[in-house]
Amino acid sequence: MGWRRLRLLFLMLTTSALAQSPTPADSEPTVQSLLLRIQQMEKRINELEDHERKQMASAAETSATGVQPGAVTAKPLSETSEHAEMSETRETERRFPSLQIRGFGDVDFSATDQKGSISGFNLGQLVLHLASPLSEKVSYFGEVSFTAQPSSYELSVERTIIRYDYNDFFKLSFGKYHTPIGYWNAAFHHGAWLQTTIARPEMIKFGGTFIPTHFVGLEAEGNIPSGGLGLGYNVGLGNGRSSFLSKAGDSGDSNDNRAWVANVYARPPRFYGFQVGASVYRDKLTPKPGQNFGEWITAADVVWTKERPEFLAEFANVHHRDEFTSITWDSQAFYIQLAYRLPWQQSKWKPYYRFEHIHKPETDPTLADVLDLSGSTLGVRYDITTYAAFKGEYRNSRHGVGEPRVNGAFFQTAFTF
Amino acid sequence: MERFSRPRLPFDTLMTANWKLASQALLLSWLCLALAPPLAAQRHDVDIAVVVHPDTPISNLTLPEVRKVFLGDRQYWSSNIPVVLLIRAPVARERDVVLKIIYQMSESQFKQYWIAKIFRAESATAPKVVYSNDMANQLVTAIPGAIAFIDSKDVKAGAKVLRVDGHLPGEAGYPLR
Repeated sequence: MGWRRLRLLFLMLTTSALAQSPTPADSEPTVQSLLLRIQQMEKRINELEDHERKQMASAAETSATGVQPGAVTAKPLSETSEHAEMSETRETERRFPSLQIRGFGDVDFSATDQKGSISGFNLGQLVLHLASPLSEKVSYFGEVSFTAQPSSYELSVERTIIRYDYNDFFKLSFGKYHTPIGYWNAAFHHGAWLQTTIARPEMIKFGGTFIPTHFVGLEAEGNIPSGGLGLGYNVGLGNGRSSFLSKAGDSGDSNDNRAWVANVYARPPRFYGFQVGASVYRDKLTPKPGQNFGEWITAADVVWTKERPEFLAEFANVHHRDEFTSITWDSQAFYIQLAYRLPWQQSKWKPYYRFEHIHKPETDPTLADVLDLSGSTLGVRYDITTYAAFKGEYRNSRHGVGEPRVNGAFFQTAFTF
Repeated sequence: MERFSRPRLPFDTLMTANWKLASQALLLSWLCLALAPPLAAQRHDVDIAVVVHPDTPISNLTLPEVRKVFLGDRQYWSSNIPVVLLIRAPVARERDVVLKIIYQMSESQFKQYWIAKIFRAESATAPKVVYSNDMANQLVTAIPGAIAFIDSKDVKAGAKVLRVDGHLPGEAGYPLR
């Protein structure tokens, strides 16, 4: 008797459990049937619209269908479907120029145990990005930033580029760029929302002098026919650094020597997410009249851009030579960043870690404001929505030789709009 | 008190009736569950065709090459024909397949990818959105250089369907399903 009761209990439990738990097999047919229903309704709407059009056409006994300038031309179809197609095509037609504006912003909080530091909030950069195709093969891109200063906001043109595409292998552009040295500088730009971490690595921070982040001139870029290697290149010729070494020569070069940069990278299609690259940059620096330094920067990067995991690593060597005394200096910097998008809670959490290092000879006069650095960053990014994120970081770093290590907590909300 | 009490059925009789009923319910549930996945799978087995404008000078791509096109890394079929990407709006099986197999991204990652792509000045425009397979069929034949993913059952007769890894939709080894 007890055995029968147990069997009955088991049957009731399993049946009710099966009835209550929604399985993919239960939900998928429902979704599919809904999709089918939507498609049927779309067809029905088209039929009704066609019918209405026929009635209007017979009433007016006229049919006027003119193609607007710039619209994509359609192949001849039946009169009614032609109208339907045009109404749909109009949504996807290309208009020139066609300006798109996107904004980026962030609000930050920082607190450190460094002597003399003040904790508190600060507004990050407000960035506006402009993109406008001018024709099938000509496009404009612009980026302006508003940075909070003690008494006002500083407006800067970060990038302004007009690009002519010949094909995938040759695209020529003119303007102001982020110098294609390494990976980060040409990948993340000024929108903090785009990057995983709160701040850029020190070696390529905006306003820093270790690597020239901006470049004014012309650039050729494209793919290199290379089969499975997926090679690409950027070659640029421009003004290089101005007399303020952290600035590009927007208003003109500081000497009669042009800077040039070459970057080659490989994105093998079979290893989707992987990229490896190498860059060379050559310039002549004139920080003051009569002071000239030759500059060679060589850099290499390897990245895995998928988020499970995300891996970014860059190394750069900056070589300076005093043209008067022939004294040379070599400075090195690198960072390694590892992140992982966690699969739980709709993949909103992304913890990360970065180690970065800078070594600079103390006597190099051109990098006077660069300090030796050894630092770690441990943080997490939480994507509130597709277009906004919270980030929290703990940093432990030593700036300068023999200086104490500094601990800090940093928070940021970054977004695009 | 005893005359007001309801007549009792023998427990064995009750158990036998319940047992039969429960057994039938369980059998039916298991049958439904066993049949449901194959039925659902049949719907999901429909291949997604890669359809291009008839004048596109290409008829076969490997899956990595299709990915390169849809990632915006290849933007021209030839010097005169730019690639025009057409992608279904959200909540469509074609979009799910493209995001899962081609982009290997979630919906959020896909949106973020194209914001970043345009922000990097690597592409001036994002893929164009189509709202039905009918619309995709019409636009892919109307726009030079257009490429779209369409349920192979809905592809219009005479459309130019690409081989992917040497296979057409419906053939063994076709990767987009």
